[in-house]
Amino acid sequence: MREELIISGRMNHLIDPQLNIWHWHIPLYLFLGGLAAGILFFAALYTILGKEKEYPAAVKWAPFITPIILIIGLVALFLDLNHKPYFWQLYTTIRLESPMSWGAWTLMVVTPISLIWCALNIREVFPNWDWKYGWLKLLEDFFKTYKIQMSWILLIFSVILGIYTGILFSAFNARPLWNTSILGPLFLASGLSAGAAAIMLLSQSHKERILFAKIDLIIIGIELFLIIHMFMGFLASTQVQIDAAALFLGGPWTAPFWVFVVFMGMVLPALLEILEIRKYKVPVIIPAALVLFGSLMLRFIIAYAGQESRWLY
Amino acid sequence: MTSTEKKPRSYINPYLGGVLLGLVLLAANLVSGRGLGASGAVKDTVVATVKTVAPGHYWNTTYYKENASDSSPLNSWLVYQVLGVFVGGFLSGILSGRMKWKVEHSPKISSRRRLLFALAGGVLFGYGSQLGRGCTSGSALSGMAVLSVGGFVTMAAIFGTAFMLAYFVRKNWI
Repeated sequence: MREELIISGRMNHLIDPQLNIWHWHIPLYLFLGGLAAGILFFAALYTILGKEKEYPAAVKWAPFITPIILIIGLVALFLDLNHKPYFWQLYTTIRLESPMSWGAWTLMVVTPISLIWCALNIREVFPNWDWKYGWLKLLEDFFKTYKIQMSWILLIFSVILGIYTGILFSAFNARPLWNTSILGPLFLASGLSAGAAAIMLLSQSHKERILFAKIDLIIIGIELFLIIHMFMGFLASTQVQIDAAALFLGGPWTAPFWVFVVFMGMVLPALLEILEIRKYKVPVIIPAALVLFGSLMLRFIIAYAGQESRWLY
Repeated sequence: MTSTEKKPRSYINPYLGGVLLGLVLLAANLVSGRGLGASGAVKDTVVATVKTVAPGHYWNTTYYKENASDSSPLNSWLVYQVLGVFVGGFLSGILSGRMKWKVEHSPKISSRRRLLFALAGGVLFGYGSQLGRGCTSGSALSGMAVLSVGGFVTMAAIFGTAFMLAYFVRKNWI
């Protein structure tokens, strides 16, 4: 008698017809992480350039929301974990080949710096703020002295954070839609665009809003370029990649992706920003909210559509 | 506000607007293979929402059963068309320098009264459009464009009723 024993991943009851185990937590976290990276990047950049006075929303106001959104994002990420009590083990090792390890350590750098950043600017909100203990004052003086060095660290790590939000997907080679290195730069660009939009929302100065509208326009151009290249790459690749691209080119995700992400999240806000730069009266909340919405939708659509793309047919 | 900002421009000639709307309808038939529809987008969204939130009610109500669909409202082009109405109106407001947060109403009534009457009118019209299987755009305009008798009847009913009942609510305007 000849017996054959087949063990396959497809015996997992969640696999067919489609593995769908990543829900709202991951895209929400990736959006918030990208947004925080974008805001902190501009805060660090304009601190290094010595333009704190000219661009207060970028350097002082917008960073106040970053620790909050980073913590909300981390809570979402924690809720997604299967083995919650063991999350701390990520901090017992450094693995250069693991995006999770990169993310865990990058957040370990960025989150505390975002809190320190708020502490250094807290007198902007509460002019009479007093650190009750002497050692806290000493700590404040210490960070004030090394603000430029801290900004450099933040600048570099915010870029890593922005890229990592995309690499988390693209390192997962079981999903052809995710397995493209374009996702890293695309999510970084989308995060920077969302950060610029948040700064525009919080800014009181016309000059600052126009600057960030111009920056956002350039980033949107880069995003569109990356999206086109992503699809060209898929279509020039093997059948599974072509099928992954087909999800957006006539498949079920066509309308949501091109309408919500590309049109409403990029083309329309770009158009509104051009009008604003040309001195038409545009309520700033609209292009900014559209960019933030498009950035969130990009993560959700890539997360959900990616789980529909597969190798086996 | 800076002095270089554009001044508000006047509205488009209504007859020209009507011709343009007709061309939009023609384009819609050409591109999507069906006419325009505003209530359809709301209907698709309501039907899908009820199906998700209260499936029991969904399967026990004739209206929902008749409009049952497996496809998400995100696959309905009417939903995008209605989004496009918002986007287009918004862009037009900006380009003609009319972008402002305000409620348009007769000087004799309050904004609150205007909004309440608009809401009540909208609810009645939404309900009526479902009894009549379509609203001004979906049934009357699109129907008349393909010479459907229902389209002409709907158009006559909508505007005829409006003329008859305008007397009772005229104080809101004049």
